[in-house]
Formats: sequence, C-alpha cells, structure tokens
Amino acid sequence: MLNSLLQAAIIINVLASTVRIATPLLLGALGELVTERSGVMNLGIEGTMLLSSFVAFLVAFETNSIILAICAAMLTGAFMSLIMAFMASTMKVDQTVTGLSLNLLASGISLFWYRVAFKGTDTASIPTIQTMGTFKIPVLGNIPYLGQIFFNQGLLTYLAFIMVPVIAFFLYRTYTGLAIRSLGENPRAVDMKGINVTRLQYLSVIFGGVMSGLAGSFITIGTTVRFLPEISAGRGWLALVIVIAGNWRAGRILLAALLFAFMDAFQLQLQGIGIQIPFQILLAAPYVLAIVVLMANRARSLAPSHLGIPYIREEG
Amino acid sequence: MNPFGKINFEKREDVSPIGRTLAIVIALIAAMLVSAILIKLANASPLDAFVNLIKGAFGNKRAVLETLTKSTPLILTGLATVIAFRGKIWSIGQEGQFFLGAMGGYWAYRIFAGLPAAALIPIIMLAAFLTGAMGGMVAGLLKAYFNVDVIISTVMGNYIIDYFLSFMLSGVGPWREAGSYYQQTAPIAANAYYPILFANARLHMGFLIAIACSMIVYLILNHTPFGYQLRAYGSNPRAAKFKGININKIIIVTMFISGGLAGLAGTGELFGVQYRLRPDLSPGYGYTGIIVAMVAGLNPIGVIPAAILFGALINGSAQMRIATGVPTALTSAIQAIVLLSLLSAQVLTRFRVRRVEHAE
Amino acid sequence: MAQNNNPENKKNQQETFVIETFQLTKRFPLVLANDKVDINVRRGEIHCLLGENGAGKTTLAECLYGFYKPEEGEIHFNGECCNLSSPNDAIHLGIGMVHQHFVLVEPLSVIENIVMGTDHKGFLLDFAATEKKLESLCELYDVKINLHAKIWQLSVGEQQWVEILKALYTGVQLLILDEPTAVLTPPEADRLFSVLQRMKSEGLSIIFITHRLKEVMQVSDRVTVLQKGKKIATVNTKDVTTEELAYMMVGRKVVFSVHKDEVKRGDSILQINELVAKSDMGLEALHGINLILHQGEILSIAGVAGNGQKELFEVLVGVRKALAGDITLEDKKITNNSPRMIANKGISHIPDDRIGAGLIADFSVEENLILGLEENPPYRKGLFLDKKYIRKFADESITQFDIITPSMKQRTSYLSGGNLQKVILARELRQSLKVLIANQPSRGLDVGVIEYVHKQLLEMRRHGVGILLFSEDLDEIFTLSDRIAVMFKGKILKIYDAQEADLESIGLLMAGIVDKET
Repeated sequence: MLNSLLQAAIIINVLASTVRIATPLLLGALGELVTERSGVMNLGIEGTMLLSSFVAFLVAFETNSIILAICAAMLTGAFMSLIMAFMASTMKVDQTVTGLSLNLLASGISLFWYRVAFKGTDTASIPTIQTMGTFKIPVLGNIPYLGQIFFNQGLLTYLAFIMVPVIAFFLYRTYTGLAIRSLGENPRAVDMKGINVTRLQYLSVIFGGVMSGLAGSFITIGTTVRFLPEISAGRGWLALVIVIAGNWRAGRILLAALLFAFMDAFQLQLQGIGIQIPFQILLAAPYVLAIVVLMANRARSLAPSHLGIPYIREEG
Repeated sequence: MNPFGKINFEKREDVSPIGRTLAIVIALIAAMLVSAILIKLANASPLDAFVNLIKGAFGNKRAVLETLTKSTPLILTGLATVIAFRGKIWSIGQEGQFFLGAMGGYWAYRIFAGLPAAALIPIIMLAAFLTGAMGGMVAGLLKAYFNVDVIISTVMGNYIIDYFLSFMLSGVGPWREAGSYYQQTAPIAANAYYPILFANARLHMGFLIAIACSMIVYLILNHTPFGYQLRAYGSNPRAAKFKGININKIIIVTMFISGGLAGLAGTGELFGVQYRLRPDLSPGYGYTGIIVAMVAGLNPIGVIPAAILFGALINGSAQMRIATGVPTALTSAIQAIVLLSLLSAQVLTRFRVRRVEHAE
Repeated sequence: MAQNNNPENKKNQQETFVIETFQLTKRFPLVLANDKVDINVRRGEIHCLLGENGAGKTTLAECLYGFYKPEEGEIHFNGECCNLSSPNDAIHLGIGMVHQHFVLVEPLSVIENIVMGTDHKGFLLDFAATEKKLESLCELYDVKINLHAKIWQLSVGEQQWVEILKALYTGVQLLILDEPTAVLTPPEADRLFSVLQRMKSEGLSIIFITHRLKEVMQVSDRVTVLQKGKKIATVNTKDVTTEELAYMMVGRKVVFSVHKDEVKRGDSILQINELVAKSDMGLEALHGINLILHQGEILSIAGVAGNGQKELFEVLVGVRKALAGDITLEDKKITNNSPRMIANKGISHIPDDRIGAGLIADFSVEENLILGLEENPPYRKGLFLDKKYIRKFADESITQFDIITPSMKQRTSYLSGGNLQKVILARELRQSLKVLIANQPSRGLDVGVIEYVHKQLLEMRRHGVGILLFSEDLDEIFTLSDRIAVMFKGKILKIYDAQEADLESIGLLMAGIVDKET
C-alpha cells in the first residue's frame, strides 16, 4: 500500500489537491485575520460561506456567468458581514451570539431558497452548473512537478495565495493597516487619535465578509457541479481555527491552511485507494486535527487584546 | 448624513419587564414580516401559510399534543444552552450531545434489553445522560486545561459525532438493522418505549422529564452556591477568580450538566417518538435549542413557553406545506430570523438612540 | 457669553489666552460632569486644574481635546470659537493631551504608536522622517528612549514620555496632562516639572490636572479649582495657601490627618520568605521578597506601579504562582494555596481594581456581599443558599457600613466608587480576620470616603489584624503606617519604622537610588 502511495503521480495529485482545497480556507482565514485585527470576532464565517456558495451556484445556474456568480457571492459576503459589523460595532451587542445567529440564518435561508428555487425537480435531475475550471500559467505551469502542483489551478486559488503577502504588507506597511492593528489591541488609543473607530471596524469586517464570499463561491462554482445543503461543511469554522493556529500572522496562517488542506487531500486519496479504514474516520480527521492544533497552541501570544470586546467610548 | 459616529447610543441601565416583553413582540412581528416575504417568494399566500401553520400547531387536541411532543427535546436542548450560556460558556455542542445521548441510551438498551420497562427505562435515561455529559465534559476539560475555545471544540465535536454515528450505522458498523440498506437500527422493542401520556397521541414521559429538568435547572442557578458561582463567572471571570471560585470546576461541571441535558433530549426522541436510531433523529433540535434559550432570555422557566412556540412552528409547518406548498425549510429560516430580530429588538429597547447635534 | 464691557480690553485678553471656555456644560446619563464652567489659560503659563476625584477635571480636559462634545457652551482657541468634533480637530489646532491612563498600544513600538493616525502622504508607512523629528525632540528635552522598543518593554515613566512625545510630534501649542505624577517616583516627578518649565520657555502652554495640593504649589502659575462639576475659583498660585485650596476643593475644612493611636504591635502573623514570581510577560518580577507582618500593625509597601506590586499582591491572594520561596501564616505554610483556601484561613484583600476584580457589576448589592462566601455556612445550608440569612447579613452590612443604595437588590453598576468600596469593606472585614491586604484602597475616591476607609483600616489594626497596604499615595502611607517598606524592581530595598521615615529618602529609594551611606 505504501508503494502505491509513494508513486510520483499520486504525490503530485495529493499536493495539487492540497493547494486547491486550501483555497477557501485561506480566503476565509485571511479575511477573518483582518476582521479580528480590528477587534471583531466574526463567528458567522461559516454561514457567510454557505450562503455565498449557494448564491454563487444559483446565479451561475441562472446566468451561466462565472463573473456574475463571483460578484453575487462577494455581495452576499458583504451583506452578511454588514449585519455583523452593525451589531458588533454600532450596536455593540455580544459578538458571539450575533455570529451564531448569522450561521443559523444562512442555514435556514440557503435551504429554504434552494427548495423554493428548485421545487419540482426530482432526484434524477439534480441541478448542476459548469465549474470554473483551471487556468494554467504559461511557462511556470510547465515546470515538472511544481508546475502541476502550483501553477495549474483555478483563478481563485491564485488569488488566495497572492493575498497572503498582500495582506501581510497591508497590515504592517500601511497607515491603515497600522490603525487596524492598533484597533484590535487598544481601540481607545485609536479613538484618541481622532480616527473613526466604527468606520474602520466596518471596513475590516466587510472585507472579511467579501473574502468569505469568495471562499464560498469557490466551494460551488470552483469545484463542485451541484449544491448540497450545508455544503460548507465546517470550512468556516476551520478558517477560524486557522487564524488562531496561525497566531494572527498571515504567513503562519498559510501554513496552517495547507496543513488542514493536506489532511483533507490525503484522506481523499486514501479513500480513492480503497484502504481498509472506515471512510467516516478519514472524513472526521480534519475536525480532530483542529482540536489537536488548538490544544498544542496554548500560547496565542499575538491574539488582539481587545478581540471580541465592544468598544464603548463614554465611561462617564 | 454620515452614519458613522454621529449617532450616540446611550445605554439605558434599566431593562424593565415591559421592555423585555416589548422586545419579544417586536421580534415576532419582524419575523412574521420577513417570513411573509419569503412565503411570497415561494409563490404562496402569506395569510394562507400562517393560518395553516397555526391550524397545524394548535388546531385540535391532537395537534396541541403533537406540538408539545415536538417541544420536548427543545426544552431540554434549550436548558442545556441556558446553563452553559449563563456562564458565558458558548457551547454549540447540543446537537452532537443529543446524538451521544441517543447512542448511549441505545447501547444501554442493547445490553439490558431483557429487563422489564420499570428497570430498563431508568437505566437508558441514566446512560443517555452520562454519555451526553461525558461529551460535554470533554469540551469542558479541553477549555479548562488546554484553553481550547468551547465553541470550536463543540462544533468540531458535532462533526466528529456525526461521522461516528454514521460509522456505527454503516454496513461495517455494529448497529445497522440486519439486511437493511438504510442507515438505521432495528426498531426498538416495546418494553423500552417511554410511556405515552395520552391515548391516540405521541406525547410521552419525556415531556414531564423536561419540565422537571426546567425546575431543577432553575433551582441550581438561583439557589445553590454552584449556580451563584456559575453566574458570577459568566459575568466577571476575573473577579470570580480573585474571590476563589474554582473556574475549572465550574466549566467542567457546567458542560457535564449541559451535555447530559442534551443527551436526555436525544434519548427522549429515540425511545419516545422515533423508535429507531437514525442520523435524521434530530432535524437540528440542538441548534433550535440555542434559539429557544435566547428567546427565553436564558431563563430556565422561560424555556418552556419558548420551546412550545418553536415546537408549534415545527409542527405547524407540515400542515403548512401540505396546504400551501411552502417548504418546511421555512422553519429554519424563520427560527434564525426570530433570533436576529430578537437581538436587534433587545438592543433597541436597551439603548436610547440620540443623534448628536452639531453645536451651531 | 464673555463679559466684554470694554472691547479693547477684550481684544487684549483674547490675545493672551490660548484657550478659553464659556459656560461649558457636559452631561452624562447619570451625572452632570461640567456645569457652566468658565476657564481661561494664558499663553505660556502652567495652569493647574485642581479638584477631587469626580470633580470634572478630566471631563473638562476631554472636551478641550475634542473627545467629548459639550452639551452647552463654547470653546475659544487663540481667540476663535472652535467646534471640536474629534481629537483630530484638536490635534490640528495644536492641542495635545497626555491621559492619566495611557492610551498606548502595548505590542507595538514607540514609533508606531506615535505615527499611528498622524497626517501622512500616501498610504505607505515612512518612518525615516518621523525618526529624525523625534530624535531632535528627544535631544531638546534630554529624553533617552529607544524608538523601536515595544511599549510593554518600557517602564511606566518611559511610557509617559511616549505619550508626551505623541503630542509634541504633532506640534502642540497647548499640552494637557492628566494626573501625570500618579505613576512617577518623586525624583521622576521633579524631572517632569523641570521639563514642563523648559516647555514653558519654548512657548508651550500647559494645563496640569491634579488633586495633589503640593504639586499645585510647586509647579503652577495659576490654578482653577473645580468641585462637583462647578468652577469655584481661578487664582494666582502665589496668592493662595494649600489650606485655602483644600477648602475650595472640598467645600469644608479638611482635617489633614486621621488620628492614629498607639497600638502595641503583636506577634508576627505573616511571613514572606524569598518569594519569586514571574510577570505576565514571562519576566521575573519578584526577585526574592522578604517581609514579616505583625498583628496590629500596618505595613505599607511604597513604590510606583511596575515594580512588582501587582505580582506580589496576586501571589498573596493566590491567583499567581510563586516559583520559589514561601508564605507562612501563623507557622503554617500557605504558599500556592488556592484563593479560596487563603481566604478561608483568614486572609482578606481589597483589590486595586474594584470593578474588575472585586465585584460583579451585574449582581445586586446583596449578592456581591457574599462573593467568596457562598460555599460557607451560614450563608449556605446544605445544598442550597440560605437566602434568609443572606438577606439579613446584607441588611446589617448596609446599615453598619453606611452603604448608600436604594435597595439591596440594586445592581452594583449603579453605585458610586465610594459605595462600591464600602461593599467590599463590608464583605472583607469580618470577625475572623487575621490579615488584610489592601491594594490602593483610596484610589479614585473623594476625601470623605477616603477618611472612612482609613478609619476602618485603623479600626482593624486596633483589633489586632495585620494589614499589608500597597499604596502609590505617599500621604496615605505616612498617615497610616507603622512601618514602611520600599519596593523597587521586585525587591524590598528597605523597611523603615514610620517615625524614622522621611519623604525624601523614601522618594529616592522608590526611584532605586540607594543611599550608599546608610
């Protein structure tokens, strides 16, 4: 069995899958990184991804346009996170409960809408769409081995990986990034400088929502031809774990995302080989890994100090 | 008009009972309005839909009893949420612990199947409570000793438990009904059924157990040192620590109780209603329990009417679908809308909105 | 508005005032913080705002800084009416503020903190220009600070300098300092005063907020006294005495010391031996503390924040681990006992962070009075709380300690600081008390309550309780102590008997300056 696994083709396949599977995790986590750096913990990523994936699917189905589908998904993400920003930053309500509510809302609405939109279709003809497909990068895509792994992926995948240095640069080398990092640690300091704390938090949260929307769109139009209820399957939660495991740093988030994606790609390959382990154990592996990763990660030295705490100005 | 920073929210310190009830009423109205829109999108008449919803839930004695039957697991998962959330322990594991309880009860049933009902049923309930409680306790231990957020460990746990159940009911698993292609166990024998309370209806003993649990949780929260410590920890963990409250003990014991209550819900559904262990034993009772608890204001007695409300929603939606064709999935949407409306309404009644004027 | 009988006079006046307020009123939901306040500050003067805690000094300053918007009244800066809708506006006018509780971002560096939010070209951070400007400022005022150090690595005094640099960097004309000496050793405070004089000669105007009369006399040209939101008077400092200022501040004659009677010191009751502990950041904060506390004595720990007091307090309470050394209570070792065990053995504490560590804001007064006692009979009977007994206890406590509250069921978030402290006192000062650890017991309280707190502490002392007092207030230390221990960088440098101690030597020790001759 080990022999069959170690064949070059299979290794490449697993690694290429890893890169692909990491895409929504990375997009979601990077978006949430910015959100959390501004002090808001958006637990609604899972729901945002789910609803966005459905909207992307629906728009792709109705219009056959990938671009429209992606835009619709981004808008959905922005809308969901707008609710979060409003509740967290303006109303200063408990962020945990709001996030959970958003997840439940997305579950309910996506299921309901799916049933309504595709009422009357029998199980034989489950609605499907054309997926995005891959785009081979010229020259780089021809490198043996590496080309197949990294440079023969979907556009959203390239975007996800490019965003890693982009976001790191944004946070550490720009004035806005500095303000956002300060906001999550000490919002009063930012307020005292005359920066509009609320506006900055809105921008950060909505950015996170748009990224989650992109992640959601990838789940449907990026990979699968059909929509299933709860298709997001915990990826939003994994994105949250990845932010923590990455200790709020873009580079480490990339590593954590690849780790989880690898686990998923690996177990898929094992299933394909027909290994004698019940497939449920393999499917459960990423979730167990998440818990293990958090157990090993007690330090969390870089968590924004004011994360999850609403900022109220007047103590008078 | 710049929406950012020109509006001042002054926190109102006193939330009167009137204010709180007003919040719930506002929430329900908002939910109805949004639901009406959704129903229209489903090409049905909102009025028809609502009428049938109510008819299905409360139309006759049988309907009312069925509503109460549907509310039974919700009371328990609601209580599981209340006790955890009062300590700001954000457990989302009710769904998973529900199944743990069902599995634990089923496992005990298989072992002690020969016993008469009077002995068998208490054993099943105890096993269910303990299994669910263990599940909850694991999350508590992970938080206490490894600082793993309860939210994440319970959500991950839900997935893991789901896969585990799937395995147990799969072709290679030990519990599948012999010869069946479906993921389900053989039917439960009659001597393990929860006693039915009324003839010709499905309302079972689990309902009484749920009511009793509600009172027990109330007593725990308000009349015991443990409940005091739990509430103190939820409100100000730092002060709790300084004044000697054993934080780890609070977290672990609370999660133990919470998991156990959710476990009782699961076994109630299995031995009281469905009589077969299947992955769809719960249509999301765990998650709905969270909403029930929030609507109840995290009050253990208030969980009962809140659970009945949502039980009515679930029960009535079947009739609604038959009569108007609106998918029962609407209930999931409505539940979430009620929760969000309630959150917003609570905030609005808690805060006075004051526009800050420019000094001219 | 302003009195302007003589237009030419007014013009002259306006030209010498850097900032003026007219009938400035600021209201909060529960309190009228500033009530029709008229003040003016001359250009190039050091102007003190004097008042008790809660008099409205900080609120007034925040209005001048644009952080709060006054409900009524006007602010004129350099003669022109200005509408400050945010600190941004104030900063652009040339008003800077150093807050009492620093608003610094701890994980970031000095230069990042200063640069954040300032005017800039483009969106990329450019530190080079900032560094140059800051270096010349540091040279001008003779300040040595590592611009790339992270804030958490700096001492409190250095952090205050970052706050001052923040204001200087944007080019202030008017610098407002809110209780700056609260966190400084006496030598550091003196240095600050000389820097302020230097700034004055550079043309800056300064508003100095304080409740300490000595400082007012020492540093200011004029002083405005506030009391309960109203302005009482503005006077030239050289024309007034501390007694007169005190009277204006409080509204009645103030007795400056509480009568402390002779109490015979008893046996040693608490021994702390070579105690070692780490701070939150993982650095060693206590390097071997040695103290002996006796029955019937008040032993004070003098020292500014950041020298290990927090860690020592937390180890004694039981919420921080001692890595080495031990603590002995009446011959029994209690090192690293849990907080509950420590409390049950007769050691109580008054935390410096009342609301964060001593009370549950959402709980009622009644419930707060049993915090920490809920597992002990008679508050508990069997499995349940004995509500009847608790109610009786609450009733008695409220009466005995004169806690002002509409009812015992009132949520404590409504209570004033003084009443909150009384709730804590009612709870902690029990019959069976052996040791009381009081951490900054008068912080944030007005004179009347401070007097009350001191009376209670002395009462406990009379009953033979051993009291360990952490305090940043040297007046309080000299008023109450039998012995004074000076703590610096995690060590006890010296322990004085109260009669032998003088302010100057203690002040030097607090700054770590050990007199080679003693």
